[in-house]
Amino acid sequence: MTKLYLFVRRYLTVLLVFGTLVSFAQQSVSGKVTAADDGSGIPGVNILEKGTSNGTVSDADGNYRINVGANATLVFSFVGYTSQEVSVGSQSSVNVSLQSDVTALSEVVVVGYGTQEKKEITSAVTSVKSESFNKGTVNDPIQLLQGKVAGLNITRAGGDPNGNFNVRLRGVGTIGANAEPLVVIDGVIGGSLSTIDPNDILSIDVLKDGSAAAIYGSRGGSGVILVTTKSGKKGTTQVSYNGSYAIENVNNSIEVMTAEEYRQVPGHIDLGASTDWLDVITRQGNAMVHNLALSGGSQSTTYRASVNVRQQNGVGLKSGFDQINARLNLTQKALNDKATFTINMSSTTKDAELGNAASFNYGILANPTMPIYDNTTTSPTAGAAYGGYAERDIFDFFNPLSLVEQNVRDKKETRQLASIRGEYDFSDLVNGLRFSAFYSAQRETDFYGSYNAKTAKFGGRNGLGTASRSTDQRINELFETTINYDKNLGAADLALLAGYSYQDFFNDGFGMSGGNFVTDAFTYNNMGTALDFNNGLGSVYSYANSNKLVAFFGRANVNISGNYFISASARYEGSSRFGENNKWGLFPAASAGVTLSNLIDIPAVNSLKLRASYGITGNQPGQSYISLQKFTRTGSFFYNGVFGPSYGPQSNANPDLKWETKAEIDFGFDFAMLNNKLTGTFDYYNRKTTDMILPVNVPQPPNLVGQTQVNIGELKNSGFELALNYAAITKTDFSWTVGGNIGTYNTKVVSLQNDTYNFAETGVLYRASMGAPGQSAVQLVRVKEGDPLGQLWGAQYDGVNANGTYKFIDINGDGTIDPTSDDDRTVIGNGLPSATFGFNNSFTYKHFDMNIFFNGAIGHQLLNSYRGFYENNEVTTINNWNIVKTKHYDPTVTKANVNSIHVEKADFIRLNNMSIGYNVPFATGTAVRSLRFFVAGQNLFTLTNYTGVDPEVRYTDTDPDPDDGLSPGIERRSTYFTTRTFTFGVNLGF
Amino acid sequence: MIGLGTSFFTFSCTNLDEELYDQVTADNFFKTEQELIAGLGAAYSSFGGLGNHSNLWSTNELVSDELVITTKGGDWFDGGVLQQLHLHTFTPDNGFFNNTWGMLYGGVNTANRLIFQFEELKAQGNPAADAFIAELRGIRALWYYWIMDGFGRGPLTTDFTDTEVKAASTRLELYNFIESELNAIIDVLPTAKDATTYGRMTKWTALAVRAKLYLNAGVYTGTTQYPKAAADAKAIIDGGKFNLEATYKDNFAVNNSGSNENIFVYPYDKVFNGGFNWPMMTLHYASQTVYNFTDQPWNGYSVVEEFYNSYADPVKNPGPQGPVWLGLSVDANNDKVPDTQGTLDDRLSNFVVGPQYKPNGEKAIDPAFEGPSAAQPDPDGTNLNFTPKLNELGPNSWRQGGARIGKYAYEVGGTANMSNDFVVFRYADILLIRAEALYKINPADAEALTLVNQIRTRAKVTPFVSLTDDNLLAERGREMFAEMTRRQDLIRFGKFGQPWGFKPAKDAASVTKYSVFPIPKQQMDANSKLTQNPGY
Repeated sequence: MTKLYLFVRRYLTVLLVFGTLVSFAQQSVSGKVTAADDGSGIPGVNILEKGTSNGTVSDADGNYRINVGANATLVFSFVGYTSQEVSVGSQSSVNVSLQSDVTALSEVVVVGYGTQEKKEITSAVTSVKSESFNKGTVNDPIQLLQGKVAGLNITRAGGDPNGNFNVRLRGVGTIGANAEPLVVIDGVIGGSLSTIDPNDILSIDVLKDGSAAAIYGSRGGSGVILVTTKSGKKGTTQVSYNGSYAIENVNNSIEVMTAEEYRQVPGHIDLGASTDWLDVITRQGNAMVHNLALSGGSQSTTYRASVNVRQQNGVGLKSGFDQINARLNLTQKALNDKATFTINMSSTTKDAELGNAASFNYGILANPTMPIYDNTTTSPTAGAAYGGYAERDIFDFFNPLSLVEQNVRDKKETRQLASIRGEYDFSDLVNGLRFSAFYSAQRETDFYGSYNAKTAKFGGRNGLGTASRSTDQRINELFETTINYDKNLGAADLALLAGYSYQDFFNDGFGMSGGNFVTDAFTYNNMGTALDFNNGLGSVYSYANSNKLVAFFGRANVNISGNYFISASARYEGSSRFGENNKWGLFPAASAGVTLSNLIDIPAVNSLKLRASYGITGNQPGQSYISLQKFTRTGSFFYNGVFGPSYGPQSNANPDLKWETKAEIDFGFDFAMLNNKLTGTFDYYNRKTTDMILPVNVPQPPNLVGQTQVNIGELKNSGFELALNYAAITKTDFSWTVGGNIGTYNTKVVSLQNDTYNFAETGVLYRASMGAPGQSAVQLVRVKEGDPLGQLWGAQYDGVNANGTYKFIDINGDGTIDPTSDDDRTVIGNGLPSATFGFNNSFTYKHFDMNIFFNGAIGHQLLNSYRGFYENNEVTTINNWNIVKTKHYDPTVTKANVNSIHVEKADFIRLNNMSIGYNVPFATGTAVRSLRFFVAGQNLFTLTNYTGVDPEVRYTDTDPDPDDGLSPGIERRSTYFTTRTFTFGVNLGF
Repeated sequence: MIGLGTSFFTFSCTNLDEELYDQVTADNFFKTEQELIAGLGAAYSSFGGLGNHSNLWSTNELVSDELVITTKGGDWFDGGVLQQLHLHTFTPDNGFFNNTWGMLYGGVNTANRLIFQFEELKAQGNPAADAFIAELRGIRALWYYWIMDGFGRGPLTTDFTDTEVKAASTRLELYNFIESELNAIIDVLPTAKDATTYGRMTKWTALAVRAKLYLNAGVYTGTTQYPKAAADAKAIIDGGKFNLEATYKDNFAVNNSGSNENIFVYPYDKVFNGGFNWPMMTLHYASQTVYNFTDQPWNGYSVVEEFYNSYADPVKNPGPQGPVWLGLSVDANNDKVPDTQGTLDDRLSNFVVGPQYKPNGEKAIDPAFEGPSAAQPDPDGTNLNFTPKLNELGPNSWRQGGARIGKYAYEVGGTANMSNDFVVFRYADILLIRAEALYKINPADAEALTLVNQIRTRAKVTPFVSLTDDNLLAERGREMFAEMTRRQDLIRFGKFGQPWGFKPAKDAASVTKYSVFPIPKQQMDANSKLTQNPGY
């Protein structure tokens, strides 16, 4: 095959040479490419005749030879070095010395609606290139960035292969909807990351401050993440294959008693077996990834096409997925290269088994002496009626294995994203004028099926079986036009942008659920056989909603002789989700920077740029129609002897509803020093979020419904971010680079009211119920005006009474202690971190490379709800459940009562990923361009004092809302266990 | 291309009105007759809260001597709000009150809105509007009656277009409003008793509300109105539409829509109108196997032991004696017959009590029973046996402690939602109202005794020879168990401070305070014009 390839390649080269001979005079140029640092030859440098597809690659010693046309210019490029162009003229020998590219200030950064050189950037933007991405088995593109960007925290507690990451930029910026950054994929605003395979991503740029994000107006409030996918390059056709196989094991769960330990507890109920439930419900997981990419291009057409296959089986039984993704990025020039068309298309299908998170919960609390199976009818764990799975007739308990095996949860996803951009260069008419039109359409479909077997205790409805099917579809269409005008005004370069944006979203779906099946054979595939539908007990629904955004935007960038930079932008945006009196908002921004190192000479400093920015961004309501007075079916009405529907109010109108506003100031500097070996970026930010969109309790009467969505409250948030990178050793055979970043957060709830309404009534709000059994009325979180966000709230532990109940501190000092009263409760922790950080070491030694990456968070606490319920010798606990036994276990406690003893410091540092690779060396001219073998480990160890499943920050809670942002810091009982992954892989290019 | 771009700039979409697909607003609804009837239905939807846990019914029952939710280990503590209700130590942040307030004022608001809408139709000359308006005013008066009875005070709003937040009106102001509203509509409301009025506000329902208003007038206003109460009850009796069913429990059957005794019901249905959750609220987890329910019950509500005993007590409730489950409901012979004797009151059908058996005759078992080493061991081990005895309020109350509510028949194979219609006003109550009013006017009134004895005879117990406050209140208790009258009755008879269950005797100040609910904290916070009830 290699021979064949060589033949083809030579033949093609001959053709090319022949072809060019016909039209141009040819000349042969040769020379050596060396590294400027130490003069050694650089192998593998791409050498391209500018404006053609004629090119070659330097050999192992850095030597090259190429035939070029008259007046040729050669472009020398190699990763890690600054590209260089040399006009050949009549020379036959061109030696080139490449500067290593540690000067990050020269890189190109993607910003909203364009790119800028990093040295021109005047706001807080961090660009992460693919070579810096996290290594190993990464299925979700956002995970590529985990720990890499100061101030960007990406969390997912546990290792659920189908779980989503929570993303927070600069901490918590809002307690309303849309706390996650806006994602823009190749210009598609609101693009879904699940349309992209991580292997296809070239770079991810994070717009951190208000100034950078303001061009995205009413959706920039939580920051913006810009994803750029890989595209083809002119020149040689390239084929690359990346393949890997990974194994995954449970890394951490929570400690509970073994059967032997449990049998020592007085009052235990011995059911005769010894079962390690955590082992029963888990397995060794595995993952396989294949990525094949073809790319190349001619003068007028470049392309990159890729196919990605992923298969994963999580450590939880029946959790995993099969996914296939294909992508084509195509660029075509036309009309004498004045017009450029870019088409990007991607399609993804994913078949997932969702497992059952509840199996982790019940796996932890199941009595360890309970057998897994019991096919009798009379024993205490009689399971004959439950498919032979042992069950106990106690409230809210289910056999953990039955939950995964008899309760099926499946999901099929399809994702399609297509976009076309047409650009036209009007430089003939007006120098520097360009026009662009862009259209994109994204369609996401989720299709669910679930089945609870007739014999399942959970959802089996006493022998009937229940099934459900549902589908949700989300469509996002975007049309944008932009005009760019670049003008040189002597000492100043001016770049202007103006644009119009129209975006339409449409969501719809339907679903049904019903049961009473004759057989389990159909699972959820034959809903019509569910007798519930005949008996009127099945349920069916459908829904549809839409919203749209229209915006006009503009930006001016001024570069004064490369020393001073000024940028100003504004977006005037309207959203259908705003109330009728406030449809349009303005989101302006301004920023400036000065390259101080160009003006004064600072010893040891190679470059230093100071910058300052101010920007206003917004956030939209999380749902459509919330400003309207709506009516909905409220039940049934017995009218003339039959039931008919009744319709009543569903929401109060608020025609004044508008966007949430965030104003943000950022001061920062970027520097390079010590011969560009040490580079870094520092930012200080201070932001104020007002008019958050929240439901407030309103008096009833006069309101029809007890809550109205209003703009309310103020949140303040400040901190600093520091990112450093030090190229400690840069020898040809050995290099060592060390880098790190840290972001700090300080989030304060300034106000929870406006002129008319109170979100928190008396300035204090208690929420996040501990839950059943028995602690439903215990609120775990306090939100208080003037205090930091994220307060965990409860009684303060003061030992244990002789009767086994907890002793608490008399907070209000009135002589009586009432742990159910807020007077005797206090702040017992904070769920939000004060800082998050990442720390990286990368080494190369000859053909080996190694990367070690840590990340972590400090300053946050977690309420360990496993302990709050089950780490005690209460009769109910002993009779019904297993006992959680961490290092905090106190056998004298005989009453479950969550309090400060169950709040733990959750500071952690985690060896997030570590990889070792070997690049197989090939001589120049070998068909194989590159071959690398690697092994990577993820989540190798975590240093923490936290005794729960995962010390990772919890930004949201499930109570009272499914995604409640006001109640961080609670580890709930159905947390998927954390996992450790080892990946073995190969990267092949030819 | 510029042309294309400009065209988008100029005439394209800057219209940001929301397009609705699965929602309705006043702009596109309430146009057709069918839509209007659906709208009228919303006035009744608020009654749906009656059958739920932690709403109007629960609040009234749990502060009375009928029902209690004990804390069973980790279950049913809920921050102490349940024990508060029983012990009369409840506070404004107890969620039961806000739920109740929300249900009642939700009903008021809906009625106000619909009255406004029908007034508009009336102005347009719609002849049907008057009848609907009268019906809605009657419903609204009922809501306000419950607000006044429960909370004592509350904002009085009658005009949908008046969006001003209001301070609370006094109990007297609310009383006068309810009375005048009922006076205005009683003769306009329909008098038929058939499918067209089933579950609807009729003249008889309005009379029942007014009779209860007058019966309790002494509590509400300081001035008793017994003659008026007696007259309204007589009007219903003389109307001839209702009579006592031969068998007490027929009024609460799964299909009780044929009852000649029920005056106003809220029709529930497991298919069309769920939300009547009593079997879930009261029965034991293991009761699922007894009734083959598709859902597992929650093991919450029990009957206070003294209240249960008031049926079996041969002195206070004379009647035929026979085996009755008492105390620990012992069945030493294992023959499903209690070892204890008591009065065989027909209305013991109000309870689920004693050992529980599956349909196949096997004993239902509770594998998670309190074992011998438990702080409070289950006296009969693994068997599921509802003992009338309650060992403690918590935290170690027996899982099987207390008789359970059996008032409404439970459908074998049923779901969490019952199909029985919830009885709001019943003819037997009307008889007892008239009896009580006459007795209060003249303790030796012969008709009063006759009326009470009609009730007793139907219950197959011995007629009383005379009436006293105590036997009248006890009789009301036995007859009206779990029909949301007990709290009111205890207050009216001055017995609200008596000890029962785990509640000690309370002094007069405490009785005054806890005889009205606190204004819910959420409402106080949302409406700065509200003031709290005295003592809270």
